[in-house]
Amino acid sequence: MILKEGQCPGLTAEVIQALRTQNIRTVVDLVTADAEELSCKCSLSYKTLVAINRVLLAQYASFPINGADLYDELLSSTAILSTGNESLDKLLDSGLYTGEVTELIGSPGSGKTQVCLGVAANVACELKRNVVYIDSTGGLSASRLLEIVKSKVSTAEQQLDALRRIYVTEVFDIFSMLKVLQTLRTGGFPESPSGSSSLKAVIVDSVRAVLLPVIGGNQIEGM
Amino acid sequence: MQREVASLALAPTIKAKLIGAGFVRVGDLHEVSAAELRIEAGISLQESTEVLQTVFPRSHEKGSETRWMKATEILEQEKSCRSISTFCAALDTVLGGGIMTGKMIEICGTPGVGKTQLCIQLAVNTQIPASFGGVEGHSVYIDTEGSFLVDRVVDVAEAALQHCKQQHGKTGQLGALENFTLETILSNIFFFRCHDYVELLAQVHLLPDFLFKHPKVRFLVVDSIAYPFRHEFEDLSVRTRLLHGLAQKLLQLASQHNIAIVLTNHMTIRLEQNNSALVPALGESWGHVSPQRLVLYWQGKQRFASLTKSSRQKEQMVPFQITSHGFHDVQLFQSQVTASISSATSNTTTVNARKRCRVEDDDEHEDCL
Repeated sequence: MILKEGQCPGLTAEVIQALRTQNIRTVVDLVTADAEELSCKCSLSYKTLVAINRVLLAQYASFPINGADLYDELLSSTAILSTGNESLDKLLDSGLYTGEVTELIGSPGSGKTQVCLGVAANVACELKRNVVYIDSTGGLSASRLLEIVKSKVSTAEQQLDALRRIYVTEVFDIFSMLKVLQTLRTGGFPESPSGSSSLKAVIVDSVRAVLLPVIGGNQIEGM
Repeated sequence: MQREVASLALAPTIKAKLIGAGFVRVGDLHEVSAAELRIEAGISLQESTEVLQTVFPRSHEKGSETRWMKATEILEQEKSCRSISTFCAALDTVLGGGIMTGKMIEICGTPGVGKTQLCIQLAVNTQIPASFGGVEGHSVYIDTEGSFLVDRVVDVAEAALQHCKQQHGKTGQLGALENFTLETILSNIFFFRCHDYVELLAQVHLLPDFLFKHPKVRFLVVDSIAYPFRHEFEDLSVRTRLLHGLAQKLLQLASQHNIAIVLTNHMTIRLEQNNSALVPALGESWGHVSPQRLVLYWQGKQRFASLTKSSRQKEQMVPFQITSHGFHDVQLFQSQVTASISSATSNTTTVNARKRCRVEDDDEHEDCL
């Protein structure tokens, strides 16, 4: 978080300029620096610096949470989604947990996309919740989804209802994928007509397709 | 939670300068003008304008919004998508109607089994008029091996015309064949010869412009994608990056322009402890790329095509043959067909030893097809 004028009382333009001379640009830089040393070098009042630090910490620091409270919160808010396959559920300790990331790994043709389609179909059919499917491989087939859905519900109306709950987007590079994920994170998911967003699962097939073109090489800072 | 600057689509040097200047999250760039950013981060005015445009795109810019589609809409799209026939009815059935537009398929096989023949057949068949059940589109043929022979295309095209004329005779469709002649077939196949991987990468890079100028293209083949990448790379990680980047670009073109993409691949030997197996070339990481894979192989004197990877169709294999007329079904007596299929089934495990065939579930399967 970069230091800006007016972020807190006492943080004026002159103060920011003075801090810049000592290469203090962000909130983290300021609160981790030694206030006494800084006040000497920048010729700023020690009291001002301490006051600014206190306000910034109050604004930006995260607060610790009690372990028992966290446990209670998890118990009440976590849902377990069945994958539609009993043995797979058993392996996953009764299914996919909300709030968790499950990674599927396998050799080509081993069935990863099929599991993804099965999970999407199950969440949409049985649990009647929305699913987001981010496809980067071109492996999604709506007719295959319909085939799986048909084995779960019998009437055409129910089958189409289930398919309407599956939202698909195609991305082909890492930046588009990150953009989509950021959109989901900030609540940009298209709402269902009832007004409540009941998104329960996000399926990404696959991460390999968008990451392999950028991983490796001379860049050591990721991208 | 705000997006980090490091995850934006900007050059790594610019990102490093931005982060060094303290702009770590997108929120840090709020209300900063291009001129201020130039001074703060030490980048040029043009670069800082570019940064601000990337971070805060104007809402009317195309492609700035994520496009969500419901599975029902995709189902409608798939139903209206046509597929390109291979002229081998058995193979068309295995593929779910033929080679689908908008999707990618990889065709692997040993030399001489018929990959290029199939590609030529598909390049011709793409142009079959809609009234004959075809896609009525143009074809792009990217040749990296030099195996494309125009004489052969002429033979295949003439045979296809004959076939359609016979059909026209049966159904009496007038005028449909006016625009489907040898001249038009040959002129609607756009041929590119790439001698090495650099030319291939450049060609694919230029394809978006080409496809905008030629919106009727419905089929694109790279024959083969393996050849330019098998010999020149000491650093395999570079090869992996380039191959996957290339594949993603092609997938994007397939989806955006509704084109069927075919990539042909070679076969290579994988040495295991006590035996060796014939597997598709370019490594296991390449195996993940294409959502569908068709392996062509010999069984004695008979050629077979086996769908070994598909997200839509069941894995199956069928016999085919190649004549002077092109790619065709096999006309055998029923008993011979059954015999060759049963002997081939016991050997399909060598084609893909790690897979179990999908369990037959006739009732549901019939309802869905």
